[in-house]
Amino acid sequence: MATSAIRAGALVTLQELNPSSPNFKQGASFRVTGKLQEYNLETSIAVIVDGDASLKVDTQHLKLNLRSGSIYQFIGELHIEPSNEAILKARVGRNVDGLDINLYRQTLRLLKDFQAEQINA
Amino acid sequence: MQALYNTHVKLLAFDFLALSPNPKDLSSFSRKGTPLSRAESVGVVVTRDLKPGKFLRFTIDDGTGCIPCVLWLNQLTSSYFSKRNPSGVRLNAQMALKFASEIQLGVVARVRGRITGYRGLVQITVSDVVLETDPNAQVLHWLDCVRLARKCYGKFCKSCS
Repeated sequence: MATSAIRAGALVTLQELNPSSPNFKQGASFRVTGKLQEYNLETSIAVIVDGDASLKVDTQHLKLNLRSGSIYQFIGELHIEPSNEAILKARVGRNVDGLDINLYRQTLRLLKDFQAEQINA
Repeated sequence: MQALYNTHVKLLAFDFLALSPNPKDLSSFSRKGTPLSRAESVGVVVTRDLKPGKFLRFTIDDGTGCIPCVLWLNQLTSSYFSKRNPSGVRLNAQMALKFASEIQLGVVARVRGRITGYRGLVQITVSDVVLETDPNAQVLHWLDCVRLARKCYGKFCKSCS
């Protein structure tokens, strides 16, 4: 059957969004998760971090009460600026404090393996 | 072969979207030869289009794909329900309105319903909605889907052996 018009936010870690990654594509849709490090109220730009990786997230379309130190998940499109810096234009977002991050990472790997196995079957 | 037919089968979106319609029975879809009629999915609500008194169309994104869903809100006006018990129909209408108010952009919803086709797309015609507030609910659903697909659904699959 045909596919849905809206693209799913592919599940990635922030480490997988560096400029040398195949995921680093203008307009690609992603679901990202990280701890809120900083938030600029005037520009609505948030910075989330996961280990040594970080990502800017444009939250202007969201009605979220952002708190530094909390964990957030965003779905949106990657916008790559001329300086080669990436910013995720978020469509939706939510607080995921309490998420078991290690289980989340392991499950993403399992899901990718399962999808590859089903597609190749 | 019919063991899963009336079960709400937990499926990842990419797996759900690959279901094929049964040409002999329009109410039935198949996954690798196994007939299915109902599905359960968990995902983030990413689109919402309300037609008051008619239906709510929405999409849930589980990270592997986007599943179109329709929640009917016409129980009190459609002739389809006119021969049914009026108190039951009123109850269904109230539940549907409650679900529609809960489905908002960004929430994580567990959705159950019938697998149907609309304009060439496979979708869920929703009968139940539960909002998930536990941040681990999506992860646990993914793990359930993978485990069931590997250990359970294959047992009913003609083309997998």
